[in-house]
Amino acid sequence: MKRVAALAICGLVAWAATALAAPDRRWKIGFANLTDDPETKIEATGFTGNLVRDSFVLAARELPVDLVLYDNHGEPHRAIANAETAVRDHVDLFVEYHDDRAANASVAAIMKKAGIPVLAINYPVPGAPLYTADDAAAGRLAGEALGESAVRNWEGHPLLALLVGDWARGDARLVARAAGVRAGLARRLKTLKIVQVEPADLGRVASANPGAKLLVATMSDPLALAAKEALETTGRAVDAVIVSQGLDPSIHGGQSDRREIDPNNRGSIVLGSVAFYLDRYGYEVLPLALAVLRHEPIPPRTVTRHVLVTAGNVWREYPPTDLQ
Amino acid sequence: MRLIRVAGFLALVLALAAPAFAQGDAACRNLVAPSPFGPTDQTGATNRVTPAVTKAAAAEIQEGKAIPMSYILKDGVPLFGTRFSKTVLTAHSLAPGAAFGENQVTYMEDTWLSQSHVGTHLDGMGHIGIRDCYYNQTQMGKFITQNNITKLGLENLKSFATRGVLVDMVRYYQSANKLRSNPACTKPCLDKGTVISAADLQGALKMTNTTLREGDIVVVHTGWGNLFEQFPKQNAVFNSGEPGPGKDAARWLVEQKVVAVGADTWGVEVLPNEDPKEAFPVHPLLLTNNGIHIIENVRTDLMADEVARTGRATFFFYMSVPRAYGLTGNFVGIDGIR
Repeated sequence: MKRVAALAICGLVAWAATALAAPDRRWKIGFANLTDDPETKIEATGFTGNLVRDSFVLAARELPVDLVLYDNHGEPHRAIANAETAVRDHVDLFVEYHDDRAANASVAAIMKKAGIPVLAINYPVPGAPLYTADDAAAGRLAGEALGESAVRNWEGHPLLALLVGDWARGDARLVARAAGVRAGLARRLKTLKIVQVEPADLGRVASANPGAKLLVATMSDPLALAAKEALETTGRAVDAVIVSQGLDPSIHGGQSDRREIDPNNRGSIVLGSVAFYLDRYGYEVLPLALAVLRHEPIPPRTVTRHVLVTAGNVWREYPPTDLQ
Repeated sequence: MRLIRVAGFLALVLALAAPAFAQGDAACRNLVAPSPFGPTDQTGATNRVTPAVTKAAAAEIQEGKAIPMSYILKDGVPLFGTRFSKTVLTAHSLAPGAAFGENQVTYMEDTWLSQSHVGTHLDGMGHIGIRDCYYNQTQMGKFITQNNITKLGLENLKSFATRGVLVDMVRYYQSANKLRSNPACTKPCLDKGTVISAADLQGALKMTNTTLREGDIVVVHTGWGNLFEQFPKQNAVFNSGEPGPGKDAARWLVEQKVVAVGADTWGVEVLPNEDPKEAFPVHPLLLTNNGIHIIENVRTDLMADEVARTGRATFFFYMSVPRAYGLTGNFVGIDGIR
């Protein structure tokens, strides 16, 4: 009887230790951002690095997390120096967002030596789980939307798909997005002519194909707005539909801003944009970080839930903060 | 015996379910809570302002000192997007020869062209809903005309003559050494995005040994109103977000059975809010589900100074709301009387 009572007490103490102490534990998480510069656009989208940083700050408010912020400035040597500083800062976990493969390998080595777990954003860090955008999936959504629009509105008309991007940059993300767009278009339009054009050439190409309805896939939102302007200037806007990628604030707007994708602007030739949610990375990554710290299993690769956002669902995805 | 037990259980289930079936539009029962004030109520939490509550609040008037708690509404104050508030003066009788009679009487009047939710203003029961479901499970689409709402309008309100309680979050955050101000504030303020929790509210109340009681109006001083006072210079910063109670704090205020929650911010609740996928979650929690009014852009700095000087956080809350028919809210004047 005494043994049973003793076991019960031990069990109760063990339960209390985990159930009561665990929720109070706060974790020190280091986040080294690709860049904090509010002028630098990242990931071939219209998002800027400061929006990523802000999302971590906002997401941390309601979590048991003390955030330590670092700015990699897009420079490999800074990324390595920040990792070394984070070790000295005794962070419990380090979130690395940097695009240089060699630097990321060095960061992995530094953290491994210090026994600090790492989470990587968008670019692999050896041995670390990765949270990443899925450019091919996003592109596919855009392509499908363009294809469906063409089938719905322009059946029987000659069609031309224009992929508008800064192709000269040779960015792997753009290549993946473009491949996704092609795959998405092919689902509904098997024999469609698809041409990749630089932004500056769009007006010329549109004018040179006066008989075709234009399915325009822009690789970012600033390019979508520029494409719309170019098509209006050349008088081809009535024959065009645009689907973009990113859904950055330039296209759905904040208070008193221009809102191209908006329930009150349903007639826009910008049909929608595929959301990349860079301004919500903190809300996605910090829960993963906490899971790692609590020794809960997480997948080696977690991808952004991309969604095509149109005038019909933009306020659901990005609730406005003014009650108009 | 078993039959009796089953019958008893069924009776209990039916008894619990009965109130839900007895009130509200069917389409809204799953979206909005029934009113705590009965199935036909259109008034909301001013039902709590009983004669006894007003009489008890009158005891707060000890010096007869009235402290302004509303901002002057004039051109240049922060407004959102296309919101507007303009006045047009009628003054033609001041023209030479236009005075009336031998006694030369003249007069002037105003035409006020304004949206109602401007400046220091009250959010009424018709302001916020979930889809078209509003306070007391009202399917609002049935009660909308081109000009107004025919249910839940301000004409249904009772008195706001009750006790006000100022909760000075600036002092509390300073004392807890966690104040993160905004550089645009010329006096200490909580920065936008600062989530005020229930524990924070309780901590701040403890600093003045104040206990909330049913029928109180809680006014939160965040310091953010300092940006309103700097209009138009800091309008963009003021509108870009705000500190304020999060959902946890709002739920606690609901439990305290308050009449209204005000703050020196444009939306009372924290923005950006805790979940970026939600829109203004505190508004439906207070207004739609519990009938608790929200008062925005309350001027709190003068009362905060007074509370800091005296250590007493309570006052007689004097606010008059024009009972214009079918409005969802209105500009208000408030004095805190001590």
